[in-house]
Amino acid sequence: MLVRRFAIYTLSGIFILSIFFILAYSPSVIAAPNLQKETPIPLLSISDDTCLECHGKPGPTYQLQNGDTLDLYINPNDHANSVHGKLGYACVQCHRDVGNYPHPPFIAKDRRDVSIQLNQTCQYCHSSQNELTKDSVHARALENGNSNAAICVDCHTAHTVKRLIDPQTQELLPEARLWIPQTCAKCHNEIYQKYQESVHGSALIGNGNPDVPTCIDCHGVHNIEDPTTAQFRLNSPQICAKCHTDPEIMDKYGISTQVLNTYVADFHGTSILLFEPKTPDAQENKPVCYDCHGVHDIKAVDDPEKGLQVKENILIRCQVCHPDANTNFPSAWLSHYIPSPTVYPVVYYINLFYKFFIPTVVGGMAVLVTLDFTTARRKKRKASKSTGLETAEVKPPTEESTVEETIVEEITVEEPTLEVTPTEETALDESNNYNERIKDISESQELSQDTDLESDYGNEEVPDGE
Amino acid sequence: MSNAKQSNELIEQLATTERSFIRFTLGQRWEHVIVIISFTILLFTGLPQKYRTTTWSQTILSTPERVEMIRQIHHIAAVVLIAEVIYHLGFALYLLFKRKLSGEMFPTWQDFKDAWQMIKYLLFLSKRKPAFGKYNFEQKFTYWFIFFGIGIMVITGLILWFPIFFTQFLPGGIIPAAKLAHSSEAIVAVIFIITWHVYHNHLERQNLSIFTGRLNEKEYRKFHPLEYQRITGEKPEPNEAGGR
Repeated sequence: MLVRRFAIYTLSGIFILSIFFILAYSPSVIAAPNLQKETPIPLLSISDDTCLECHGKPGPTYQLQNGDTLDLYINPNDHANSVHGKLGYACVQCHRDVGNYPHPPFIAKDRRDVSIQLNQTCQYCHSSQNELTKDSVHARALENGNSNAAICVDCHTAHTVKRLIDPQTQELLPEARLWIPQTCAKCHNEIYQKYQESVHGSALIGNGNPDVPTCIDCHGVHNIEDPTTAQFRLNSPQICAKCHTDPEIMDKYGISTQVLNTYVADFHGTSILLFEPKTPDAQENKPVCYDCHGVHDIKAVDDPEKGLQVKENILIRCQVCHPDANTNFPSAWLSHYIPSPTVYPVVYYINLFYKFFIPTVVGGMAVLVTLDFTTARRKKRKASKSTGLETAEVKPPTEESTVEETIVEEITVEEPTLEVTPTEETALDESNNYNERIKDISESQELSQDTDLESDYGNEEVPDGE
Repeated sequence: MSNAKQSNELIEQLATTERSFIRFTLGQRWEHVIVIISFTILLFTGLPQKYRTTTWSQTILSTPERVEMIRQIHHIAAVVLIAEVIYHLGFALYLLFKRKLSGEMFPTWQDFKDAWQMIKYLLFLSKRKPAFGKYNFEQKFTYWFIFFGIGIMVITGLILWFPIFFTQFLPGGIIPAAKLAHSSEAIVAVIFIITWHVYHNHLERQNLSIFTGRLNEKEYRKFHPLEYQRITGEKPEPNEAGGR
């Protein structure tokens, strides 16, 4: 009895304890690891002055893994004058996990790695832009190992971030438009040189013209896509069209806004636009705007040297795909003009001709066909009402007045010398002769009043009827 | 005198037997079949290209490869049609040089008079229909309309197919002009064929003589009385009726 109670207690205890151990110490399933570091809570109790005590004076440096020295000095005016400083953002709001001195250890391979690591801080306030950059060609390059690919601080800088957007209108500030090409030029200098001389770039840099595009107008700003893809190519006419179909902008410079319409109406554009909706990444070699007009070196079309109005200049572009073309060939392209009596008059007049010809043909035929049809129907109705003559069968010759009988009779009676058989004359003359004779005959004699379907054609009189 | 007797005998003969006359040669019938086939193919491959911004066209022409394919088919059918045209013209020239080219298809003043007479008849202004020879004015109109229509299509089509070649010696502006003419004339041809030609040969009455090559006596007498006269006036020889 006692042994039994003891056994029960022991076993229950073991059971309960094993449950406990199983729950407490079972290997946990590893869920998707949380890549984002836990957001450290910034210690806002650390004021900027505290940081600047050390970092506001030249001197502090930090050794990086590869032996480089990281300069830890920051000019206090830089941050104060930046947009973040003016809005009162503290150092610790970006440098979140640094805290007060002594700082936790910071490992970086090289100077670039420092930036890349610290770049992670922007997303906490600018998450939407950060999301966009993840799709960009720069982010992909970075992932693929190119550590020099642009990150936030490369364009925006770290401590001297400038205001770029007008907070009221959400539009780019005019001075920002000038900064943009200069920023991109930090890595894409060759393109910048070309852009400077282009009609767009020289207007922007020379005159501060706000109507011309900067880099981001064509390439986007945060989700910059690879401009060498087929998708970009097929979509590129829309980029140019954004400004070049807008009369508000174009009228100032006397530039036609019909450029997209005329492009689409002709060979090249139709092909490009054809595939854009269905297969946006189709490999289509028809030219888009920049194939003829250039990419970063766009010149005005009436530029005396490089302008496309010079036949030889555009011929070079044509010959890229049509190597045997000569100087006649470029005028096959309507050059964004709509044909008019003065420009491409041949095309204009052919168009005009068919505008009349087609309705005339259609209308004329419709009239004749309708008349024919209604007459035929009336005849059929009449015939079905007539006595016994329902189908056009061959009837005994004495009762019917067929054409040839009439001819034969009349001819042999009146003019025996005329022969029924054809002579050496041509068939053409014959028909003419016979027609003449028939007319004479029909006008001179009265014919039968039968509603004879068979003798419709010829010189039968059709009875007066409805 | 003897003519009257002969003719009366003929009439008697006609009253009891039903003959048919050869109206089109085998060559002509084959030509027509080839024209039908190539025309239809050209139409079905050409219209999507003309109206390539419509949805129905874009379902067909959805990728660059399909555009290439439809262009190829269009070109092949065009070559067949061009071959037929060359044969047609060549044969006509051959007959011309042998002085055997019949003038029956060429328009004459009589055709204009016939047309006018027909209009008067259809508008109830006259009780008389004109008497036609082998080809009435409507048929001649059809032939020559399509003749020049196909002519325009071939010439402009070749210009579009070989733009580099033609711009070697012609100004570049003919290319857009040719494109406009080609696509517009195609529409004209389609409308013409479907309304006029198909109406007259299938809806107004079923006229299959271009396929069978023959037209029976009754219809010959009714619709082409002058030709019938010419044929049966002498000893009826089928070859003479329309042999070419």
